[in-house]
Amino acid sequence: MPRPYADGLMIRKEDFTRVDEFVWELPRAYRYDMRAPARLYADEALLDDALGDDSLTQLVNTATLPGIVKYAIAMPDIHQGYGAPVGGVFATQLPDGVISPGAIGYDINCGVRVLASKIDAAEIQPHLNDLANALYKNCPSGVGVEGTTPLTTGKLEHVLELGAEWALQNKYATRDDLQHTEESGKMPGADASKVSSRAKNRGMAQLGTLGAGNHFIEVDRVAEIFDAAVAEALGLFPNQVVTQIHCGSRGLGHQVCTDYVNIFQRTAREYNIRLPDRELVCAPFDSEEGQDYLRAMAAAANFAFCNRQVLAHHIRRSFEQTLKGKVRDFRLHQVYDIAHNMGKVEEHELDGTRVKLCVHRKGATRAFGPGSPVLPDDLKAIGQPVLIPGSMGTASYILIGTAGSMAQTFGSSCHGAGRVMSRSRAKHEIRGDTLRDELVARGIAVRAGSLPGLAEEAPQAYKDVSRVVEVVHRAGIGKKIARLEPMAVIKG
Amino acid sequence: MKRFEEIPHTADWSFRAFGRDLRELFANAAFAMFALEGAIPTPEGAAGISRRIVVEGIDYESLLVNWLSELLYWQEQERETYQRFQIEEISPTALQAIVFGTPRGKIEKIIKAATYHNLKIEQTPEGWQVVVVVDV
Repeated sequence: MPRPYADGLMIRKEDFTRVDEFVWELPRAYRYDMRAPARLYADEALLDDALGDDSLTQLVNTATLPGIVKYAIAMPDIHQGYGAPVGGVFATQLPDGVISPGAIGYDINCGVRVLASKIDAAEIQPHLNDLANALYKNCPSGVGVEGTTPLTTGKLEHVLELGAEWALQNKYATRDDLQHTEESGKMPGADASKVSSRAKNRGMAQLGTLGAGNHFIEVDRVAEIFDAAVAEALGLFPNQVVTQIHCGSRGLGHQVCTDYVNIFQRTAREYNIRLPDRELVCAPFDSEEGQDYLRAMAAAANFAFCNRQVLAHHIRRSFEQTLKGKVRDFRLHQVYDIAHNMGKVEEHELDGTRVKLCVHRKGATRAFGPGSPVLPDDLKAIGQPVLIPGSMGTASYILIGTAGSMAQTFGSSCHGAGRVMSRSRAKHEIRGDTLRDELVARGIAVRAGSLPGLAEEAPQAYKDVSRVVEVVHRAGIGKKIARLEPMAVIKG
Repeated sequence: MKRFEEIPHTADWSFRAFGRDLRELFANAAFAMFALEGAIPTPEGAAGISRRIVVEGIDYESLLVNWLSELLYWQEQERETYQRFQIEEISPTALQAIVFGTPRGKIEKIIKAATYHNLKIEQTPEGWQVVVVVDV
C-alpha cells in the first residue's frame, strides 16, 4: 500500500527490493507522491547505516521532483543532510524538469583536487613537519580568515565568469591543471550579474582560503595500486607522495544558494509545485528563475574551481620552500579536480536515445567512463579520475569512471566515507587533543586551528571508506586504481 | 522556559527553539544559532554593537529563515557575534528587530546557512516551537 509522506513511519529493510547484489530499490508505489523509484547502492551493513537516520526519507523526497527520470539514486556513503540526502544523485528531463538549489547544496562545487609529486614517501619523511608547517602557514584556513588574493568587485566578476582560467591568466595555474579539472575549471553559462552583491561581498576576501569544518589539505602516500596501467597513465606509482585539497565556494556559494532557495519559495507557489520538504524548492529548468539560478550556480562553481587552484599554487609554493635542494624534484602535477555539489546539463542515454538532462549531484561526484568526449586526450581512453577522500586519518582512494557508471548512475559515483555519528555526539564522545595525539602517534603530522572541530571529524564519526569504495567498485560504477594513506593533515 | 535544545543530526547541526510567543521564538532561534557556534566575544569589555535588521518573507517559516540568514551574513561580513535579540515588530511577512552583540573573537566553526528542511513553526500548549537544521 502506498503511504502518505506525513505518516511518520520509518523506512524498513523489507520495503526494499534487492535488484542486484549491491542495488536496493524502493518502488515508486512506496509513497504516493513519488515520480520515480529510489535506488540505494550498498551492502547490507551500509543499508543498515542508511536506515539509521533520515537519509532514505530524504531520498524518497527527491524522487517526487517534477521531471525526474529513471530513479533517484543514493551512493553507499549516503547520510542525512537537508532537502536531498548527502550522497544523492538524480536527473531531470529538459526543458521543463526542475532544477533545485537545495538539492545541490550550499557549498556549491565543494570538491577535491589531487596533486601528485615525483617524491618517494621515505624521501620526504625527514622534512614532513616543515612541510606541514609551511602548508598551514601558506594556505589560509579557519573561520573568518582572509586569503592572500584580495579582489575588487571587477576582478571578482572575472573570477566568477572565468573560473580557473582567471588563475591561469594570473599565474596561479598551468594549462595542464585546467585540462585536468572537471569542465576545465570553467562552467559554461556563468553570469556574475545573477550573483547578488551580498554573495560577492562574502567572496571578496575569501579566494584562496580553505575554510573550516570538514575541509582539509592532506599529504598522502600511495599505499596500494590496484590497476598498474591506469595508475601509470595518471602518473601514480607506489609510495609516491601526493596531496589532496577538499574545499568549495566559501561564503559566496553559501549566499548564492541561500538567495535562490529564498527566491524559489515564491516561484514554486507560482508554478504550483508541491513538495514534501521546502528545502527541495525548485523551478522549471527553462523558466527565467531556473536559468538565473543555473547561471549564478555556475559562477559560484567557478569561484570554487579558482579557489582550489589558488590553494594548489600555495601548496606548490610550500613544496618548493621546504623541499628545494632536498629532494630530486619538488614539482607537483595535477591528477584531477572534481566537484561534489553541482547541477549540470549533460547528455545521457535514456530508453535508447541520447537526451539532455539536468543532473543534480549532492555529495556525489561525476564519474565519466572511457570515451567521454568531455575528457582531455590523455584520459579519453581510461576514463575520468574519481577522487574519494576518506575520513581524517584513514585511507583515501582514486578510482576511475566506467561504462557501468554511465549506464547505471548518470555517470556518477560516491564522494567520501559518509558520516554515521552526529556532530554533537562526536563532540561529546571524542576529545580533539586525544584524537590529535593518536594521529601523531601513528606518524601523521597534524596542524589544526580548532580541536573541537577536529573531534567532529574523527574517523569514528564516519563509515569505513574502504567498504564504501568496495561497493562502488563491485557494483561497477567506479574502478579502484589506488589507495592513499595520510602522512600530514592540515585543517582550519 | 528553556530557550533551545540541540538535536542530533548526522551531517549538520539541528536545534529546537522555544518561545512563549513568536517574538520570543524568533529571538531564541537566533540565540541558539550563535550559542552553537560558540563564538567568544573579544576583546573583554569591547564596545557593544547594535544592528537594525529588517526582513521580509511569504510566511512565518520563510521569515524565520530570512531572519537567521540575515544574521549569518552580518556576522561573517562584519566579524560580529550577537547575544541579545529584540524583535520590535513581527507579522507573517515582515520582521523588524535590533540585535546586540560584540566584535567576534575566536570561533571554532561557522554556520554556512539556515535551511528550510522540514521547517514548521508549531503552536504548543506552552507557546511556540520550531526545529531548525543549519548547514555547517
